Amino acid sequence: MSDLPRNGKTPAGHITSAYERYHIATQNSPDVDRWPSRFNVKVRRSGLAKLLVKELLHYGPRKDVILSRPCMYGVFSGPVGGFMPREEHCVGCLRCTTEFPDFVRVEHNPERRKLGDSHFKFNYVDAVSYEAASGLIPVKGAGYRGKFGGEGWDGMWTDMSEIVRPTRDGIHGREFISTVVDIGHAPNFLLFDESGQPYGVEPRSFPLPLPILYDRPPESVMSEQLVRILARAASQVGTVTVVPIDQATGLGEFGEAIAPLVTPEDANRLSELDFAPQLIEMQGWNESLFVQLGERFPESLIGLRTHFEDPGLVEYAEAGVSVFHLTADFHGRGESGAFVLDMIREAHGRFVESGIRQEVTLIGSGGLIAAEHVPKAILCGLDAVALDTPILVALQARFVGECADRMSSPFRMPEKLDEDWGVQRVMNLTGSWRDQLLEILGAMGLREVRRLRGEMGRAMFMKTLEVEAFAGIEGYDGKS
Amino acid sequence: MANLKDQNDEALIVEKHVRNLHNGFAHWSRQEDEPPALGDSRWTADIILSTWLMAENGRAPSNEKEYRTGNSEGGFDHLDFRFLPESEWLTESTAINLSIPLNRRGEGREIEIKVPFYGGGMSYGSVSEQVMLARAMAAKATGTFTCTGEGGYPNSLVPLRDHIITQVATGMFGVREETIKYAPIVEFKYAQGAKPGLGGHLLGDKATSVVAQIRESVPWVSLFSPFPFHSVYCVEDHRKHVDWVRTINPEALVSVKVSTPTDVDMVAVGSYFAGANIVHLDGSYGGTGAAPEIAKKNIAMPIEFAIPKVHRYLEGEGVRDKVTLIASGGVRTAYDIAKAIALGADGCVLGTADLIAIGCTRCSNCERGRGCPFGLTTTDPLLSQLMPVEWGAQRITNMYAAYAAQLREILRRLGLTSIRELRGRRDLLRYVGGSNGKATA
Repeated sequence: MSDLPRNGKTPAGHITSAYERYHIATQNSPDVDRWPSRFNVKVRRSGLAKLLVKELLHYGPRKDVILSRPCMYGVFSGPVGGFMPREEHCVGCLRCTTEFPDFVRVEHNPERRKLGDSHFKFNYVDAVSYEAASGLIPVKGAGYRGKFGGEGWDGMWTDMSEIVRPTRDGIHGREFISTVVDIGHAPNFLLFDESGQPYGVEPRSFPLPLPILYDRPPESVMSEQLVRILARAASQVGTVTVVPIDQATGLGEFGEAIAPLVTPEDANRLSELDFAPQLIEMQGWNESLFVQLGERFPESLIGLRTHFEDPGLVEYAEAGVSVFHLTADFHGRGESGAFVLDMIREAHGRFVESGIRQEVTLIGSGGLIAAEHVPKAILCGLDAVALDTPILVALQARFVGECADRMSSPFRMPEKLDEDWGVQRVMNLTGSWRDQLLEILGAMGLREVRRLRGEMGRAMFMKTLEVEAFAGIEGYDGKS
Repeated sequence: MANLKDQNDEALIVEKHVRNLHNGFAHWSRQEDEPPALGDSRWTADIILSTWLMAENGRAPSNEKEYRTGNSEGGFDHLDFRFLPESEWLTESTAINLSIPLNRRGEGREIEIKVPFYGGGMSYGSVSEQVMLARAMAAKATGTFTCTGEGGYPNSLVPLRDHIITQVATGMFGVREETIKYAPIVEFKYAQGAKPGLGGHLLGDKATSVVAQIRESVPWVSLFSPFPFHSVYCVEDHRKHVDWVRTINPEALVSVKVSTPTDVDMVAVGSYFAGANIVHLDGSYGGTGAAPEIAKKNIAMPIEFAIPKVHRYLEGEGVRDKVTLIASGGVRTAYDIAKAIALGADGCVLGTADLIAIGCTRCSNCERGRGCPFGLTTTDPLLSQLMPVEWGAQRITNMYAAYAAQLREILRRLGLTSIRELRGRRDLLRYVGGSNGKATA
């Protein structure tokens, strides 16, 4: 994978002649840190012993009949069967407790449910773990099991196209849906002089093959090894990872995959880089630093990293910023308490109202913890997302209490973090999420993710739908 | 129990587990205590265990379990009925009609079902032949229908064909001219609520030789039905589909099963004008044998929102009384059926409820390996024997009878003598969400 040309270019920057379909090389990469089993299986030994005696008397020498167990998944297939259940195999089908209600009991394991925190709940941890281990889309039988709707991401559904679809080819490998996004600046329209030549501001952007970047890890878990995992994974996937400048200086081999993050205090360390980044992120608005960076690094885009509720976004754009990396805390909250989904819509709306939305790129981080949050965030107005906590969960980091603060949240990384394993886990997660993005785009009949951005006509919100459906019913006041 | 010597090990193993399972269903449905890991927000342990009890005795539970609503904090679970004061209830001897017509176009074959619900499509391969047979036998006993799903038409179903809808879906698996000729109703499945816009999945482990043969595919290779119909680009193409079916079987009614996108109202009207007798809306919380988790929660709207939208639009177009509107996708109880009808549907389609009646715990492992550990969503020759056909047919028949009794009771308390009078009567509903608490009925 690392030998493949990135972004349709050879390492030397020439356009390749041969078409190569974008692909993320996922492969099985099991957990290294054993997490608590999903279920506890409790078998009362006296009950089991009585059953065995009874069946022995009844079936006599028919050993296969006596040893036929109610579990297909191997919970009772250890050397001593039900006397020592192998709980890690339990999938919660409950056949055993149905057949033997008197002495078999299956319970949700409370230890498993402690994984994550109040935002990144254990079911999200489960999903991300599966995706990082397998690189696959989680597929299961039976219908949806959760709450009807809810706040935030859960109060939103994406649309689908029943019959008329521009793609026409179905999904699952037969269809090409582009997930390429452009990071940078594009003027609303081109200007041409009398001779027909374009003049004025020209488009300036670089493409990423998918709308997913990686964000910098919090200080509490920052390490050279973790940064190398992110850099290698970003390089192989063809995307970009944000790295604080003090960690970026030794990563020249990953070149374009690194977006150094600088402050006025450490911006001078950019001179230590032995590569020209595609993107430099500036922490917080500082006009003189912005101008200075632009002059020193004319080949690079200078992005602004700030919080979603920064009131100056449009002014910064008018001052020349074309790439915004907007952040909420890890629970998706802004300082006002607003949720990231609403903050995305608000920020996107401000640029739309100003007539310059097409000219800027919005990247978002914070509170995006599941594959479905990517298309939903893009529908609400982002161009791309930069993953934060999902990467840590993919690497089997444990939450220590509530982890909302972007810098100081106390995650605990696995004791032995193998770099190759980590790279594969991050790539698997990315591949799985991209494939799920394709599912959503395919269902809508969209051929490219760029058409999804801000396409609110393809979003359905619970509050709106419920008013349409239930208005006039006694007791309904429009507030779910 | 037969003499042990006369039975081989396999028969004894099946007999042993079937006996244990049947005892277990009876045990748990009568206990105050519930299996701690059973149930979820939508299908609570109370609803599952109550359904087991209804399947056993054909009556609504009289214990303390909440069998009418779930705990999903929205939709049907936030709606209640505005029953009349008890003094105004109809007498228990009042005749109450639950039948609904499936052809309201004023031309063609007249078909009525005795209850306002029928069984939804579950393909051979996603479920066992035994399950298909049990559902068809229950449909016959109740005076309603079940549906083949997209996986062919096993020969054992042919004697029950007057109660079986033949489904034609995008992969055309198992669709043959004779199966269309068998059918009183042909259902075009454009989409499925649990995976709108994605097409069907049958994972390789369940595509056994027999399944592959009937589907005319390759054994042990995963099958993905495409999405959408590659022969339908527009509503005119859909009309050609209808013409094709009617050329083969001029007597057949046509049902169009669609999901619930934002423009579901226009899809419904288009389907009607293209010749559909039944518009079947499958909401996003419906069942499936296998679907990406991302699709189940996030694509298309729940049925509670789609029904009034479509009902109003059909009314506005002046065709509401020319088409039968059927709802599915998260219909779990008789109370859900009645609420769906009050929101504007004519009737409902049941899927998961049928499986719960015959032992499903909704563990979501249908797609895995050999399939269902209870012998339902499997084609494994040994596992599928865990659900004896006659037992299953009786369980589903009993559950249908319990639903019918509850529907009559609901109508009696509302002062209505026919289920048809309930359609679109939102004024008989009460919202009990938000600060108002939770639905109790």
